[in-house]
Amino acid sequence: MAIVQETIDTVAELERYKYGFTTDVEQEFAPKGLNPDIIRFISDKKGEPEWMLEWRLAAYERWLAMEEPTWSAVKYEPVDYQDLYYYAAPVKKEGPKSLDEVDPELLAVYAKLGIPLKEQEVLAGVQGAPKVAVDAVFDSVSVVTTFKEELAKHGVIFMPISEALREYPDLVRQYLGTVVPVSDNYFAALNSAVFSDGSFVYIPPGVRCPMELSTYFRINASQTGQFERTLIIADKGSYVSYLEGCTAPMRDENQLHAAVVEIIALDDAEVKYSTVQNWYPGDAEGKGGIYNFVTKRADCRGDRSKVSWTQVETGSAVTWKYPSCILKGEESSGEFYSIAITNGHQQADTGTKMLHLGKNSRSRIIAKTVSAGKSDSTYRGLVSIHPKATGVRNFTQCDSLLIGKECGAHTIPYIEVRNGSAQLEHEATTTRLSEAQLFYAQQRGLSEEEAVALLVNGFVRDVLQELPMEFAVEAQKLVAISLEGSVG
Amino acid sequence: MKALARLDLTDAATFPSRRVEEWKYSDLKRFLREAPELSGTAVVGAPGPFYDLGGDAIVFANGRPVGVKDYIASGDQTLRLRFISDATGTGHTASARIVARPGARLLLLETHEGKGSAYVAHNKVEIDVASDAEVTRIVLTDEPDDAISVAEAEVKLEAGGRYRQIIVATGAKLQRLETRLRHEAEGADARVDGIYLLGGSRHADLTSVIDHVGPNGTTSQLIKGVVRDEARGVFQGKILVQKGADDTDARMGHHGLITSERGEIDVKPELIIYADEVQCAHGATVGTLDESALFYMQQRGISADEARALLTQAFLIEVVDRIEHEGAREVVREWLTARL
Repeated sequence: MAIVQETIDTVAELERYKYGFTTDVEQEFAPKGLNPDIIRFISDKKGEPEWMLEWRLAAYERWLAMEEPTWSAVKYEPVDYQDLYYYAAPVKKEGPKSLDEVDPELLAVYAKLGIPLKEQEVLAGVQGAPKVAVDAVFDSVSVVTTFKEELAKHGVIFMPISEALREYPDLVRQYLGTVVPVSDNYFAALNSAVFSDGSFVYIPPGVRCPMELSTYFRINASQTGQFERTLIIADKGSYVSYLEGCTAPMRDENQLHAAVVEIIALDDAEVKYSTVQNWYPGDAEGKGGIYNFVTKRADCRGDRSKVSWTQVETGSAVTWKYPSCILKGEESSGEFYSIAITNGHQQADTGTKMLHLGKNSRSRIIAKTVSAGKSDSTYRGLVSIHPKATGVRNFTQCDSLLIGKECGAHTIPYIEVRNGSAQLEHEATTTRLSEAQLFYAQQRGLSEEEAVALLVNGFVRDVLQELPMEFAVEAQKLVAISLEGSVG
Repeated sequence: MKALARLDLTDAATFPSRRVEEWKYSDLKRFLREAPELSGTAVVGAPGPFYDLGGDAIVFANGRPVGVKDYIASGDQTLRLRFISDATGTGHTASARIVARPGARLLLLETHEGKGSAYVAHNKVEIDVASDAEVTRIVLTDEPDDAISVAEAEVKLEAGGRYRQIIVATGAKLQRLETRLRHEAEGADARVDGIYLLGGSRHADLTSVIDHVGPNGTTSQLIKGVVRDEARGVFQGKILVQKGADDTDARMGHHGLITSERGEIDVKPELIIYADEVQCAHGATVGTLDESALFYMQQRGISADEARALLTQAFLIEVVDRIEHEGAREVVREWLTARL
């Protein structure tokens, strides 16, 4: 009954969106708008090598020639790309960056968000939790990265990408843009031109990363787009588990978050990437909230490499993303576990792509979608088997749950098989919350809202189990909070 | 995404390419760049596979109706609807309209019979199923492997209407059989099945859009297909449940087998749901023949080819068994078996 009790406790302490505060720190902005000068400004601010600036400018040229895509099921007010700040950073003090010198205002922000930036701290509420190294990104810059020294002892590089561009330019240059090319899509091109920060991870051959790595993204400044860029390289035989979290203040305006995440897994490497996305979803009338247009892709280049995406999508006004795996290596494997919960006027069009190019590659997709209120949620996915990929296996399961009469839930899978030895199974269901189960739970003394939270938690359990422990606890609470106000 | 224009063989601007989402896997524009010349007249030859089941007949030869092209059924009736193509390098369009009056029971036996080569056929049929009427539509296709053939059916189901459909597609250079069905009113019941059996470099596309507008509707769909050689099978099934179409129960299943190295199957089963009191599900599988079953049969003296044919037949016949009319079921079974 511990879980039931926890659900009750969670519901009892429901708050609409507890991360919706803003922080008043002194910030430095680049002028509004997008042009080559702004790109030069960003590149200069970061002290980037010349080739990086050229790369950005080339990406900008490409972006200008592209059209914003409209094929998704989501509808949103067009973004005025000239009315955005592309760079916003807290003003930094001089001197070497150590935790003690980080602006206490900023530390207070992360303390309030429950993100442990002091290395001696462990995640709140979890007894005996393992250590987690955190890279904290505040608007356009990384403010602090913890456990860097301990990680360095193992040869693990974990630092803001802007820093990696200065310290390991060759490594970055070798891999940047190789998984998501500059011209991949409209938002990836935009990101390539103006990305400001994000994390860089390199795990050397044979190393099992001694702790979980995590990046925490926070949008604070108004009228600012956040363009994060993350690059994770797992060299032969290495393993890393990476967590990503995000929140933003409550505002009437829509803010754009267009990130690119690239993962490269070489022979026998394994990467586990978990996201708990809790951007501000907008208010009850659908005003404000984040546009979350993200390109995430993993390249399983090596034989027997493995990448596992787990995502809990509860925030954002509009979510549009498909974390994907290119399964090039023989016997490589890709996994995608997703929970997408929409409420209010939220819209989500999310899913995955599994591109099987390697022999005997395998993939597994479990997607759970919950729609409530007036929201609209779409699972869109592709499983494609190349003619040369023999012996491929795929299993896909997409379940949708509808709560209320005014929401929508859609399932649009694409299955393309061009090899006779492949075996694919796909199943999808759409149902409403069972009256009988609700009645049963209420009979036993739960309120309607508690009963809904309990049943939904059960519905998404398969995916919750895939999350690292400290995230699972958080995610379970988030599930309940996201559905607040969906019944009665 | 480009909007979907109504296909019109006389206007090349209406030919969809794979950039049109609904035609993603059947790139008509690739095979047909210009409007084909209009086909001349054709002779109606052999009586067609359903001749022995009798009933009335509507016949189109190269798009031209031989007699009537509209039909109103009342009571218990059988209608053979034959689209005959006998042309070389030219194109033709036919359209028929069929109405089943309240309480009628119609067995609609449709055939797409092709001779000649490299023709372009565009056959359309509108079917209105009035309240408490029942229409069973069985479609067999037999077309040359260099023909282009697009068939469209527009079905409307009134309250309590029953509709049973099975399409057996054997492909062409590009063959598309599209069914758009609307549950207009309460308590309609549709079964929209299909089989594709393809060899050589044939292409068949079974596309269906089932739109639940009225409440309490039922849709059941079972599609099975076998692809050999370098053939390509496509199934796109969309089930829409509109706001207010409560208590809809919709189920869709697709199962495909690729028995060669270079065959291809593309599947897109979609559920678009705006009502909450629903039960909807789809399942899709693609695989190959069970090696251990093949081995077992060969061990017992059955040749590899024969074993393959037997397993394929067993796989596909499940769909044929869903035909309720015994006579029609036997014709389809024999027709299919002859092509394994």
